Amino acid sequence: MSNPYLEGLASIAPEIVLTVTALAALVFDLVVKGRESVRVGYLSLAGLAATAWFLFGQWGVESHMAYGMVSVDQFGNFFKLFTVAALAVVVLYVMHDRRERTSGVGEYYFLLLGAAIGIFFMVSTNNLLLMVLGFELLSLSSYSLAGFHKGNRKSAEASMKYVIFGGLSTGIMVYGISLLYGLTGTIDLSLMATSPNLVAQVGSNPIPFGIATVLILAGFAYKISLAPFHFWTPDVYEGAPTPVTTFLAVASKAAGFGALLRFLAALFLGQGATALGGYGERVALMLGLLAAITMTLGNFAALRQSSLKRMLAYSSIAHAGYVVVGIACMTREGFSAAMYYLAAYYFMNLGAFGFLVYFEGVTGSDTIDSLKGMGFKAPLISIIMVAFLVSLTGLPPTVGFYGKYLLFVEGVDEGLLWLVMIAALNSVVSLFYYLRVAKALFLEKPAEQDAAPAPVLTGFVTVLGLATVGFGLYVAPLESWATRSLDLIRGVAGS
Amino acid sequence: MQSQILTWITFLPLIGMAVILLMPKTSMNAIKGVSLAATFVTMVLGTWLYFSGFEQRSLAEIQAARAGGDILGAQFVQRFDWIDSIGVQYYIGIDGLSVALVWLTTVLLFVGVVASLGIEKAGKAYYALLLMLEVGILGVFVSLDLFLFYVFWEVMLLPMYFLIGIWGGPRREYAAIKFFLYTLAGSVLMLVAIVALRLDSGTFSIPRLTELAISGKLMGASLPAHGALLGMDFTTWVFWFLFVGFAIKVPVWPFHTWLPDAHVEAPTPISVILAGILLKLGGYGMLRACFPLAPDAFHESAFALGVLGVISIVYGAFVALGQSDFKKMVAYSSVSHMGYVLLGMAAFTEWGMEGAVLQMFNHGTSSAALFLIVGVVYDRAHHRDLNGFGGLSQLMPRYWALTTLGFFAALGLPGLAGFVSEAMTLVGAFQAADTRFQVLVLLSTLGIVFTAAFLLYAMQRVFLGKKNAKYEGIEEINAREVFCQAPFLFLCVLFGILPYLLLDWMHPSVQNLINILKVQG
Repeated sequence: MSNPYLEGLASIAPEIVLTVTALAALVFDLVVKGRESVRVGYLSLAGLAATAWFLFGQWGVESHMAYGMVSVDQFGNFFKLFTVAALAVVVLYVMHDRRERTSGVGEYYFLLLGAAIGIFFMVSTNNLLLMVLGFELLSLSSYSLAGFHKGNRKSAEASMKYVIFGGLSTGIMVYGISLLYGLTGTIDLSLMATSPNLVAQVGSNPIPFGIATVLILAGFAYKISLAPFHFWTPDVYEGAPTPVTTFLAVASKAAGFGALLRFLAALFLGQGATALGGYGERVALMLGLLAAITMTLGNFAALRQSSLKRMLAYSSIAHAGYVVVGIACMTREGFSAAMYYLAAYYFMNLGAFGFLVYFEGVTGSDTIDSLKGMGFKAPLISIIMVAFLVSLTGLPPTVGFYGKYLLFVEGVDEGLLWLVMIAALNSVVSLFYYLRVAKALFLEKPAEQDAAPAPVLTGFVTVLGLATVGFGLYVAPLESWATRSLDLIRGVAGS
Repeated sequence: MQSQILTWITFLPLIGMAVILLMPKTSMNAIKGVSLAATFVTMVLGTWLYFSGFEQRSLAEIQAARAGGDILGAQFVQRFDWIDSIGVQYYIGIDGLSVALVWLTTVLLFVGVVASLGIEKAGKAYYALLLMLEVGILGVFVSLDLFLFYVFWEVMLLPMYFLIGIWGGPRREYAAIKFFLYTLAGSVLMLVAIVALRLDSGTFSIPRLTELAISGKLMGASLPAHGALLGMDFTTWVFWFLFVGFAIKVPVWPFHTWLPDAHVEAPTPISVILAGILLKLGGYGMLRACFPLAPDAFHESAFALGVLGVISIVYGAFVALGQSDFKKMVAYSSVSHMGYVLLGMAAFTEWGMEGAVLQMFNHGTSSAALFLIVGVVYDRAHHRDLNGFGGLSQLMPRYWALTTLGFFAALGLPGLAGFVSEAMTLVGAFQAADTRFQVLVLLSTLGIVFTAAFLLYAMQRVFLGKKNAKYEGIEEINAREVFCQAPFLFLCVLFGILPYLLLDWMHPSVQNLINILKVQG
């Protein structure tokens, strides 16, 4: 076992397990000839459990394999664990989505797992090339997933839009990376920041570096759907099958944030902080402006939606804006607040989408009107939904409130009081449309229609609800995890 | 147990709520029983706390405590870490400002449950929400940690939204969301101010923040650009952000427009709680967490606050005069009566401040009585049009007698509680160092005239005059309704004759507060 290459393989055990699971799911689906796809779902869950096991094994471990291509660290681990958890929830949603066929959907699981492999590589590398590869693996799987309902026009349209926007923005991003490569002679982020060429270049003429940064950020902005790169989001989220929307809105978006945080941390927070420090502030200001536009636009657009699914899509755009408030601080504390908020975002959005999966199955529609009076028919899941709505608005005692509090603190501390004010007023706007859901559920006359119970789905949503409130009351574990994870990004650790 | 009494009082309703949630919704009687028991025990504890547990300290004793680092001289303090990483503590305690309001809350909520016994629709949810509301209110009154204070402040919103939105009148959805949006708009501003205060001082403890503020160490020095925002310096905007957050709750003109809507649509017991205690949270918040944290800005803007107070007094009463809806009239009268609170506080004299605190309590009892009175007639006639009755005094003499007492208490008749506190605020305002306050007092007497006018005019239209044949067989006020009103009317009389039963409790703390605020001046 002295071969360093083989030893290195151990550090990507989670990725290997995930790949094997994905392939097994594909083969298994072929063997059972598409009958009873639910079994493929169980197989996927087992694979995800094994992956999680290996991830826990890597807790606190830091290693770099394949000549620094893959970095295993706590930061990547944070996002990977959340991805696994989110994916498990999504798989469960697929299995319990009443609008979904029970057979012939084995590829579903394969594509989801494939997307997860993309995420894993995206968040655990300092190598921009591998990051783009992960990005593309995630995107390709997502395109197919968005168009999974081939017969459905909306689904097909969603997929098409997604491909065009995605292809374009990846192109822009790769171009930016090529410029950065030209300036530094390396594609390794950790080396890039201290590259003497880059420092000299920025010192004499910062424009090429500025263009490269803006182009790369545009690629990220597309993935995390920041305005003005968000146009694909509502259509894709609405057209895609709801579990896929859940995956895109939660896991895929958070992964985009993961990669973005690593990129910015390596360039502007680590050893590069001093060399490129002045430039970091300008990038921060640009991000701050994007955040302000994004949350305002997302919230005001959400006000007008009649479809719950589309409303949640716009709300997720607004939430991306809140997270960027933390990033725009360009401090480690700001980044860890952003990570805490992302963790909060996992819980409350997974839950809200689970509620949507359930009610689409009951009423066959995703409009807010179709929920009228259903709160009395399915009280448990509806009450839990109110908890998610409260958390999304950012009211205590929930995880969303604490996340927003942390973002506000860091923003004010970094002199972004104007941005914090905009974010605060935005949460008032958001209350209005979140309450529309609560209003439809409970303030209308009890519905005629009965809601068939779905104990497994309700159970899962309840667990997410308890986490949403529980982590709001007892914040220490999640917060220390987010902070610790950030400390272990390679390159930031020493600063 | 005795040292943890505040925690028990605050969270007993939560236990009741948990029990209710576990009960099947068909066993309505058991659910009502649990709600009654939970609020009753809380009330007993609250009453014990007020009359026996709370130790009346003299000003000298409080000042001695202040020398020892306890600026408020709070009692029954419990303090331990809650969220270590940002220094949030579970820090509770009461002083002379809050003890009476805690007691009033426990009484009001018990009466609220009794008054709700007739509500049949989705009873399980109703009582659960009512108990959750009580936890939020009590939590705000006992919190001495600003973060904890904010958490409880927000916890109140959701139950109130549903209580108005599900069990309210025809325009309940509009009223409920308006209430929620207004309050949230105020409280996000508060949150920004709280965040800024925390960053500047490194603590959430209200007593500690007060100490820092009065020694001039809370000026935004540790923030970028000294915490200036849009040309305003740190203390000024912190003060106004906090003030607006509380002013919306009071409600001070021009932030009052949610109140008439909320009151008109809310079911009677909820109106009673809303007027009786929720509005006091605004005034209490100003005294606890706004003025002492930005004393300079308070002194600078005192006259502006006084003007707002007078506008509220006069405008509220004048608009009430024009109402034909009984409940809307009472709602506007609340705007007017709460204006005295602001005027008294802004005057910053001993009488003014004490009158303001007293007025909060007295308005709590008298407005609760008025809303219960409206509820009685609404339950029978199913409308509240003041012009649609007439001659009820002959049909419901006992009801008439109680109403007269309630009206006179609200009107400020000598011998009843409202008189004492209103007179104190006006005299206090007249003594204010800033002589412009004398003009304000003069103007606010208009409010007194209008108040007398709308109450008597309402009395005339509803109770006097020709008997309305439509209500020939109307049922006289029943025992449950009398039982609900009796405590409030009794308190109105009691504190009208023996105001020292409240003042002795409040006096040292109000004095202490004045001394605190005087340090800068």
